[in-house]
Amino acid sequence: MTIEKAYMLISIFLFLSGLLGVIIRKNLITLLVSTELMLNGVNLGFVAMDRMVGGVEGQVFSLFVLAVAASEVAVGLGLVVSIFRLKGYEGSSEITHLRD
Amino acid sequence: MEFLLVLIFPVVAFLVVGLLGRRLGDFPSAIITVLASSLSFLFSLYAALQAIKNPVHVPLYTFILLQSKPLELGLLFDTLSSVVATLVTFVATFIFLYSIGYMRNLFGQWTYKFYAYLSFFLFSMLLIVLSDNLLLLFFGWEGVGLASYLLIGYFHEQRKATNAALEAFVMNRVGDWLFLLGILMSFITFGSIRYQEMWEKAHLVDPLMLSWACLLLFGGAVGKSGQVPLHTWLPNAMAGPTPVSALLHSSTMVAAGVYMVARLHPVFEASDTALKVIVVVGSVTALMAALAATSHTDIKKIIAFSTMSQLGLMFIALGLKDKLAGSFHLMTHAFFKALLFLAAGSVIHTFHHKVHDIYEVGGLRSKMPVTYLSFMVGALALAGVFPFAGFWSKELILGRAYEASFGIGVLVSVVSVLTAYYIFREGFVMFHGEERKGGAHESEGVMILPMAVLMLGSVFAGFGVWWYGSLMGKEVHIHGDTVVLSLVIALVGIGVAYSVYVKRWLSAEELYRVLRPLHTTFREQFFTERFYHKTLAGGYMRISKGLHTVWERVLIDGFINLLALLYVKLVRFLWMKLDIMVVDLLVNGVARFTFKTGRTVRNFQTGLLNHYVAFLLAGMVFIFGIIIKFMR
Repeated sequence: MTIEKAYMLISIFLFLSGLLGVIIRKNLITLLVSTELMLNGVNLGFVAMDRMVGGVEGQVFSLFVLAVAASEVAVGLGLVVSIFRLKGYEGSSEITHLRD
Repeated sequence: MEFLLVLIFPVVAFLVVGLLGRRLGDFPSAIITVLASSLSFLFSLYAALQAIKNPVHVPLYTFILLQSKPLELGLLFDTLSSVVATLVTFVATFIFLYSIGYMRNLFGQWTYKFYAYLSFFLFSMLLIVLSDNLLLLFFGWEGVGLASYLLIGYFHEQRKATNAALEAFVMNRVGDWLFLLGILMSFITFGSIRYQEMWEKAHLVDPLMLSWACLLLFGGAVGKSGQVPLHTWLPNAMAGPTPVSALLHSSTMVAAGVYMVARLHPVFEASDTALKVIVVVGSVTALMAALAATSHTDIKKIIAFSTMSQLGLMFIALGLKDKLAGSFHLMTHAFFKALLFLAAGSVIHTFHHKVHDIYEVGGLRSKMPVTYLSFMVGALALAGVFPFAGFWSKELILGRAYEASFGIGVLVSVVSVLTAYYIFREGFVMFHGEERKGGAHESEGVMILPMAVLMLGSVFAGFGVWWYGSLMGKEVHIHGDTVVLSLVIALVGIGVAYSVYVKRWLSAEELYRVLRPLHTTFREQFFTERFYHKTLAGGYMRISKGLHTVWERVLIDGFINLLALLYVKLVRFLWMKLDIMVVDLLVNGVARFTFKTGRTVRNFQTGLLNHYVAFLLAGMVFIFGIIIKFMR
C-alpha cells in the first residue's frame, strides 16, 4: 500500500464520517462540524491526488475550499445562532420550513 | 333621331323624377312629368305627320343570338303606331296634368314616386306601340306590367290596393307566359320576330304552327286586356288612384293587348282558328262584363267593366278581320274612357277619396256642373249616340258584326244596349235625384282643363273616321240601317236608365228584389272570381296542404327523423362503449395514478435536512453507479 492510497483511504473515511454525521445527528452545530469534516476529507483527497499526479491544481483547489469553508462556517454559525435566538430550538428535526 | 325623342322624354322624366324627386319636391316632379309627356306628344305628332306619308324605320341595336338569324331591334313608325303613339301621349299628358290636382292632397308624402311610375308607364307603353319586333314589345309589355303593379298598389297602406296590385301582377304573369311562348313559337315559325317579315311570311308558313303562335300571343293579349278568363284583376285594379285607372284603361296597358293584335293583324288574319278564338273570347267578355257592369255600384268598377266590355268589342272587330274598326274604336275609346274616369275621379276627389259607391252620392248636377257635363259627354260617347266619338267606331263594329253573322250582330247590339244602360245608370244616380251627401264642390282648374280637352276629343274624334280610313287604305262604309239601329240601341239603353233612375216609373229597389239572383250572378261575373278563389286558389292550397302532410310531414320529416333517431342511437352506443369504457377509464386511470404517485412521492419531502442529505447520498450513489456501470 502506497502512502497516497493510505491518504485517500483516510480522506474517504473523513468524508463518509462527516456525511454520516450530517445524516444522523440533529444538533445544528454538530451538523456544521460534520460539514467541516467532509470538506476537510475532500481537501485531503485533493492534496493526495495532487501528489499522485504531480501537479499543483489540487492544492489550489484545497486552498479555495478552505476559504469557502471558513466563510461558510462564519455564515452558517451566524444562521444557526439567529435561528436559535428566533425560534428557540437547536435540533434540525424541528426545522421543516423547506417542506412548505 | 328626332323620332327617338318620343321615347326618350318619358324615360328621362322617369330617371330625373325617380332619382332626384326627393330633392326636387313633389310639385316640380309633377311639372317635369307633364312637361316630358307633352314634349313626347309634340314629337310623336311630328313623327306621325312624317310617318303617315311613308313609314319610318329606326334601327336601334342588333342583338345577335343565333348566327344566321340576327335579332334586330328597332322602332317602326307607320300609320297605326304613330297615330296610337300620338294618342297615347296626348291622353297621358292630360291625365298627368289632371293628377296634379287629384294627388295634391298627398303632396309631401313622396308623391314624386307616383310621377316617376307614371313616366315609366308611358315609356313602356310607347315601347309597345313603337317597337318593330316582338322582343322590344315584350320589354314594354313587362314594363307596363311592372308599372301597373306599382301604381295599382300605390296606396300601399290599404290592403285592398296591395292585393289588387298582386292580383294584377300574377294574372298578367299568366298571360305573359303565354305571350313569351308565343314569341318563341313565332320565332320558330317565322325565323324572325320582326313584324315586317312576319307580315310577309304569314301566308307561307305552316298553318298549324301559325295558329299555335297566334293563340299563344293572343293569350298574352287576354291577360293584358282583361279578357275572359284572365279578367278578374281588371275591376279590382280600381283600388289604385283614379288617374292610374284612367291611364290604364284608356291608352295604356289594357289597350296593349288590342294594339298587339291589331299590329300583327296580317298574321292573325292568316289563321282562321285564332280569329275564331278571338271572336269567341271577345264576345264572351263583352257580354259578361257588360252584364257585370249593370249590377255593380262602385263608381270606378262600373267603368272598369265597361272597358273590359269595350275591349271585347274591339277583339270581335279584330277577329272579324276588321282592323280599321278595332283600332279606331281603341282610339275613340281612349278619349271617352279617360274622360269618364277623370269625371269619376273628380267626384271621388271632391269627397276626399271617401266615396266609392254611386248610391252614396246624388244630385251632384248643380254642384259640379263641369264634371256632370264631362261625365254625360263621356257617357253619350260610350253609349254611341250621334255625333259623339263612340258612335262612329261602334257603328263600324256593329256593321261588321251584322255582315259576318246575325248572331254576333245581335250580341254586339245587346252589349251596346247594356252599355248605354249601365253608364247612364251610373250618371243618373250620381248626378240626378236628391242630394245624399253634402260638401260637394267643383274641382279645381288643373283637373277641369284636362276634362274639357278630353271632352272635345270625345265629341269630335269620331269625325276622323274617314281620314283614318284613308290612312289605313280602306273605304269607310257607314250603313244607313246600322246607323239607325245603333242609335235606337243607344236610346233604348239610355231610356231604360232614365225611366228607372230619373223618372222612377219602375222602382229600382223593386227590380233589385225581383232580379236578385240574376243580379248576384252578374255582380260576381258569373262566379268566375269566386271560382278562381275556391277552385284554383283553394284547390292549389288544398293540394299544397295535402302535399305538405304527405310529402313534407310523412316522407321528408319521417326520413329526417329516422336519420336523427339512428344517429342518436349510434351516439349513445359510442358514448356507452367508447367514452365510458375506454376514454373515461383511461383518463380516470391516469388521474388516479398521478394522484397516488403524487401522494406517495410527497412523503419524501419531509423538510428535514438529514433526510435530504440522505437522499442526496442515495442519488449520488445511484448516478455514480450508473456512470461506473456504463463507463466500463
